[in-house]
This record gives sequence, structure tokens and C-alpha cells, in this order.
Amino acid sequence: MAAEAVGAWFLEIAETTGAMTVLLAKVLARLVPPRVDARELVKNLYKMGVRSLPIVAVTALFTGAIMVIQAATIVKRYGAEGLLGWGAGFGTLREIAPLLTALMISGRVGANNTAELGTMVVTEQLDALRVLAIDPISFLVAPRFIAIVSTLFMMTLFADALALLGAAYTGDALLGVSPTTFYNGLTSGLLNFGDVATGLVKSVVFGLVIALTSCHFGLATKGGAPGVGRAVNATVMASAAGIFVLDYLTSFALGD
Amino acid sequence: MITFAGVSKSFRPSGGGRPNHVLRDVSFRVPQGCLYGLIGPGASGKSVLLKLIVGLIKPSAGHIEVDGQDVVTSSELELQRMRLKIGMLFQNNALFDHLTVAENIAFPLRRLTTLSDDAIKLRVDERLAHVAMTGFDERMPSGLSGGQKKRIGVARATIAEASIVLYDEPAAGLDPVTSQKIFELLREEQHAAQATVVMVSSDLDRLLTVTDRVGMMYRGQLIFDGTTREAQESLEPRVKQFIHGLTEGPL
Repeated sequence: MAAEAVGAWFLEIAETTGAMTVLLAKVLARLVPPRVDARELVKNLYKMGVRSLPIVAVTALFTGAIMVIQAATIVKRYGAEGLLGWGAGFGTLREIAPLLTALMISGRVGANNTAELGTMVVTEQLDALRVLAIDPISFLVAPRFIAIVSTLFMMTLFADALALLGAAYTGDALLGVSPTTFYNGLTSGLLNFGDVATGLVKSVVFGLVIALTSCHFGLATKGGAPGVGRAVNATVMASAAGIFVLDYLTSFALGD
Repeated sequence: MITFAGVSKSFRPSGGGRPNHVLRDVSFRVPQGCLYGLIGPGASGKSVLLKLIVGLIKPSAGHIEVDGQDVVTSSELELQRMRLKIGMLFQNNALFDHLTVAENIAFPLRRLTTLSDDAIKLRVDERLAHVAMTGFDERMPSGLSGGQKKRIGVARATIAEASIVLYDEPAAGLDPVTSQKIFELLREEQHAAQATVVMVSSDLDRLLTVTDRVGMMYRGQLIFDGTTREAQESLEPRVKQFIHGLTEGPL
């Protein structure tokens, strides 16, 4: 009985992974040469990107501040004020900004994307597109895919800057470390472009995870409104798990 | 012309178990320019049959041809080309939630033709007037009643003047007057365009006033295929009971 359950679970994982791979191949096939609906792309970039700015800004500012609060005791004890900029920058750029931004975008954009696609599936809107001789991958999926990956990349850059800003001003307020000292620590040479690039590579990987899971579970929705709820739940779970697993693997691969 | 030859369709439940046989060995032909009414009790396979015609699903067995094109073996690209000449109204209307009423109706023209914005607007206004929905162009589908959505669905299905049109319950949720108007409109347009039409409807009184031929589905089988008059005069017990709405009988 237990072996049967494990077997069924394994088959389900294999089936989902296979379906996501096929979906990724279909999307990539629409990119060269480009066969993506430009209006949908712009609309999704606005909806997913621009409208995510406030929540990402709040998250990033407070994340930077929290990092300084956590480091405050050690910095004071050892008088390591000069290293505050480096410490905050190292953690933010390589790990915290891409990870937290991905989790925020997964919750806001990924879940919403699945709900929208799932609703379109159960109300036959996707079938209606096909009957109108319009390829749903070019019209609906590829623009969302590009928008999610681009959004996460841009939001990570934005979050990097704001988190460091939050850290710098919290350092000043709590520890008396001036923004200039913080900046000097940040640019002292202990950090380099590789640290920024690591975070940005992660943001692209996380963007692919969110785009793939949200589009796959949306398109695979069955069973009316309850099915849409199940699909959203599956997206949130799979995205979060995928982000952490791939964060580990990417950190491992890019670690120096 | 639409041809079905020995078409069967089964769905396998996702959790396993015995397959659900939705269509069994269905064969019939809808001649060019014919308005074909498809009738039968609920869950007898009518909507599945419409989706098979347009290639949205593939049959488990059998052969389907639309204007000489083999739907079963066609690639997705070939099916896309075939669908350029097909209009379809879905049972749930399938209006695009994120588009206004006018954008929904204009959608096929915007995507598939090179008509100017003014020409498209004229066509949209004319369609809206036909389905008695003038003034609703800027409304969103979520703000419409079921009957209003149905009328917008009809307007979208007919705007491109397709040579083959499939209607799944075009009058469901409409009041008797609007329902009669819709059937007359669909008949007029079918006559004008000499389109081949397959229409599924539970409103038999009105449906049988516009059809040339009728097919009756029962438990996945086509148990009757003939002219409208033959259907009305049929002595086949199930056809007779269904068409005349008798409570006594084999159904």
C-alpha cells in the first residue's frame, strides 16, 4: 500500500516535470523567431511589474533594516562599523533580495497568473481562442512567461538598491554608522560584480520557476472553481519549493 | 460539408477506473449550406461532438472531415488554418473576461483581418443591434446577465461571417421573444452566407422551425438522422417522446 502511494507520487512528479518541460519548449519555440503578442506582453509587464513596485519596495526597505538590527549586537561588540556595508551588501545582493523578491512575486504574480489561466480554461476561453485560430501559447502563455521573468529580474535590482538604502539609514539611526561609512564598506573591494551577478542569475532562475509553475498549473486546471483553487495552491507550493531547491543548487554552482 | 464516420470518444477518469464512453460509432453528414439541429437529452455527447468537429479534442476512433480536410490527422497548424473558416458559440459563452463587450465581438476581426478600426466598429455596432445589445459596448462581461452574455457570444460567433458555424445552446437563458429573434437571426445569416451550421439546442419548438436536418443523440449514439419533417413524424419511440415532450416512453 505504502509502495503504491510512493509510486503514484513519483509518477505524478514525473508527469508534472515532463509537462513543464514540454511547456517550456513550446514557449521557447515561440521566441525564435518571435511570435508573442506584443499588446499582451506590455499589459502583463505593467500588471505584473509596475503594480508590484509598492510591495517590493516595502519588503526591501524593511529587509535591509532588519539585517542591520540583527547585526547590531555583533557590530557594536566588536566595533566593526566599517564592515556593516559589506555584511549587508553580501547578504542582500547574493541571497536575501533575490529570494524574498521571488517569494513576494510568487505570491502576488504567480498565484494570480494561475487563477487567471485556470479560470480561462474552465470557462472555455482557451478553447475559444483556439477556435478563433489563435495560438494560446503565443497569445497568452509566452507574454506572461516573459513578463514574469523580466519582472523578477528588474524587481531584484530594485530590491537590491532599496534594501541597501534601508540598511544604510537604519545603521545610521541605530548604530550611528554614517551612510558614508556604510557606502565605503560596501565598495571597499570585499564585494564585487560577481556578488551582484549571482543574485541576478538567481532572479532569472526563480523567474523561470514561477513562470513555469504558474502557467503549467493554470493550463492544467480541471473541475471548475474548486479546480482553480487547487491549481493556485499547487502553484504556491511548487513555486516556493522550487525556489528553495534551485536557490541551494544555484548557490552551490555559483559559490566561490 | 462535415462528415463523421464511425466516430467514438472515451474519456479516462484522471484517478483511474473505467473509461467513460461519450460517443459510440457516430456516423452522419452535414451537407454544405445545411442548418443541422443536434438534439438529445443532457450528457448525450452533443457538445463533445461540436468540439470534435473543430478539432479541440481528438476522437478515440473513427474519421472526421470538414470541407474535405481530415480533422483527426491534421497538425495543430493545419487545424488553425481550418478554424479560420469556423465560428463557434460555446455553451458557457467563453467571453474573454479581460475584454469589453465591443472588444470581445471585434476580437476575430482584429486578429484575423486587416479591416480598419472604423470598419470594425461599424460591424460591431451592427452585430450589437442584431442581438438587441446596442449601448453595451463598453461593459465588461462580468457585468452582464447570462442571457446578455449569450447574445454577445452569438454576435462574436457570427461577426467574421464564417462558412461553418457551430452553436452550442444559442438561446439558453433567453426570454421567449429574444430567443425567437436569435433563431430567426441565425437562420437569416445562414441563408445569406450559405453557411453550414450545426446547432445544439434544448429549445426544440424554435429549433425545429429553422433546421433543414436533425440528428438525435442518446447515450452517445446517434439514434436518428433525417430531415426536420422526418424527425417530427418519426415513430422511433425515443425520438417521438423527446420531440413531442411526452412523459411516457422509453427515455
